[in-house]
Amino acid sequence: MLHKLPYRLQVPLGLALAVLITAFLVMVVSAQISVHSAKRATLATVNRAVVLLVAQSRPLISADDTWRIYTLLRDTAALLPGVDAGHSRLAVLDQSYRVMASSHPAQLETGRKVAEGDRVPGDEASTPMLGAGTLQWVVPVRSDDGQVLGHLWVEIDGAAFEPVWLAVAQPALLGGALAVFLLLPAGWWVGQRMALPVARIADCIGKIGHSREPLLCEQLPRTEAPELWRIGDAVRRLIAETEQRRKAEDRALSAERLAAVGRLTAAVAHEINNPLAGLLTTTQTMRLHGEDGFQRLKSLDLMERGLRQIQTTVAALLPQARLADRVLTCTDLDDVVSLAQGTARSLNVHCEAKCRCLGPLHVPSAAIRQVMLNLLLNAIKAAGPDGWVRAALCAGGDRFSFHIANSGSLLTPQRLEELIESESGPDPRGFGLWVCRQLAIQAGGGFGTADTSPCGQDDPWGAEPMPRTDFTHLVFWVHNKEEWA
Amino acid sequence: LTAVILADQAAFLSRWGRYLSAKLERPVVFLARESYQDVLDLLFARQLECAWVCGYPYVQHQDRLTLIAAPLYQGRPQYKSYLITGRRAFSGVAGWKDLAGKVLAYSDPLSNSGWLVAQSQLALAGLSPAALKKTFFAHSHRNVAEAVASRLAHAGCVDGYVWDTMVKQGMPLPVATEVVWSSEWYGFPPLVALADAAGDIQARLFSALEGMPGDEEGVQLLSALNLDGFVKVPPSLYDGIRDLARQHSLRTGRPV
Repeated sequence: MLHKLPYRLQVPLGLALAVLITAFLVMVVSAQISVHSAKRATLATVNRAVVLLVAQSRPLISADDTWRIYTLLRDTAALLPGVDAGHSRLAVLDQSYRVMASSHPAQLETGRKVAEGDRVPGDEASTPMLGAGTLQWVVPVRSDDGQVLGHLWVEIDGAAFEPVWLAVAQPALLGGALAVFLLLPAGWWVGQRMALPVARIADCIGKIGHSREPLLCEQLPRTEAPELWRIGDAVRRLIAETEQRRKAEDRALSAERLAAVGRLTAAVAHEINNPLAGLLTTTQTMRLHGEDGFQRLKSLDLMERGLRQIQTTVAALLPQARLADRVLTCTDLDDVVSLAQGTARSLNVHCEAKCRCLGPLHVPSAAIRQVMLNLLLNAIKAAGPDGWVRAALCAGGDRFSFHIANSGSLLTPQRLEELIESESGPDPRGFGLWVCRQLAIQAGGGFGTADTSPCGQDDPWGAEPMPRTDFTHLVFWVHNKEEWA
Repeated sequence: LTAVILADQAAFLSRWGRYLSAKLERPVVFLARESYQDVLDLLFARQLECAWVCGYPYVQHQDRLTLIAAPLYQGRPQYKSYLITGRRAFSGVAGWKDLAGKVLAYSDPLSNSGWLVAQSQLALAGLSPAALKKTFFAHSHRNVAEAVASRLAHAGCVDGYVWDTMVKQGMPLPVATEVVWSSEWYGFPPLVALADAAGDIQARLFSALEGMPGDEEGVQLLSALNLDGFVKVPPSLYDGIRDLARQHSLRTGRPV
């Protein structure tokens, strides 16, 4: 029950309880001591009374003066405990242990034989003989020449000491009550004083994370108790560390926001930069072959589609300005290859692209063109000088996939995951790969390494078979459904 | 004074002494002793001029003593002896014959009512002293009553006048006891003096005592004593006691 109470109540209540128990024990012990002391004092008084009675009764026994013996015993019996209740008796016996007179004739009547005759007069000790709860003295009364004249008989029932117990217990009770009266409030006050710092520390701990550090530190109690001082100091350090962690988190959040803005900016620049590079290549082509009408129209169409791609990319950032996208066609693959041709030529990379559409396409052109251009440019860079890049667009049934392979160093699945996860790192391919993965996932598809031929049995690269483990082969696939578009 | 009266109150004796001093025109001092013999010894040693003793010692020493006066109790200079017991359920004593094997308390060995009468009655009951478990002297009639009340003794012999006075004064002792037998009338304990004493103190003392009913203070003193007055009595008033003493002498072979 007590352990369920708050600590601020447990301590004072515990102290109060300890005071009560201590007072009770002290009271009991002191009462016991007092009772024993009183009993010893009573017995000492009885012993002195015995000495007095023996001396005083000697001439009365010699004179056989029953009345004066009676008055002597009657008056002396007042010294004995419990005499009023009849628990103590005095008697003078003759040589044959008959009562000459007693203090209580109704109990020890005159002439009664109180002991058998087998006792040898003069042999009794003056120490009390302990009966069944009764103390008895039989003291011989001797003449000056040692002759036994009679005996003094003292008998005290055990019940005679019970009233003494009650009387002596009263001071102990008063002392206990006084102790409780004084110590109980003191114990309560001390307990409250002891528990208050602990309660305040507990309150402060409960407020960590919800209140400001200066306020919490002000609420922490200043105490000189070593244990509480250590606890308070630890809590103070905890508050400071928590505050530092919170500030670090704030700084990290700000940095994260800035990084996100940076990534967004980089993504926009990346998405726009690629078609711009293609457009620049197209303008170079027009400048060289613009006299040819067919070539000029083809370049203009290419420039228009590149500009449309940029428009679509920018519009994606402005929800209110989104434009309707068209469905992807095999021509888009040719456009992407044309846009990347400039980069490929600069690195002397041979690019080859195949389209295998067994049915109508339903995937959007802008997003897939972006994916294809990203992957193609990444593959050209990965292939390196004098390398090769092969792309294939496969569509059949409800699946659309874009395969890209290059002759660069092998990109294992683990390495691909590392690149995607480190999209914020120094590897320029990271961000483009991450965008491809996100687009595929949002469209219910996937992006990763491939270990099978593209387009199933109709392998567009089948004319020149290569060991599958010697080159990097990635695949981007989504569902070829109308609702996707 | 002896235990013939309940006169152990110092204030009363002082007041009575001042009264008699005024009447006798000389200092009067009371000396109280528990034992009749002590008073007789003082009287015969002429350390006392007058003594109030029981009729039995007067009879024993009548040749050396002269009667000054005797009190009037209930209109006569006589009293009775009582045999008292405690509650009968305890004592089992309803008369003298029941005293066999019992403890009997006497007042004084020179007391008529507290000893001599009992000796006669025990003889009449056919009980020898050895037939009783124990006898003892309580040194006054009042103590006899207390001895019986406290069950120190099964029965006791007391002066009827003292007993009645205790009852009249509302003392608790008679409540715990009861009278189971009373004697015939005997001469009340007299005030005596040595027969050969010189001077007129005896006549002057009698005159003062005789005149007590005549003044208010004397009446108050007599009322406290539960007496009616004092009168001159002849020696023959104590013939009854004299007969008891003679019979006891004959039974025991001791002189009267």
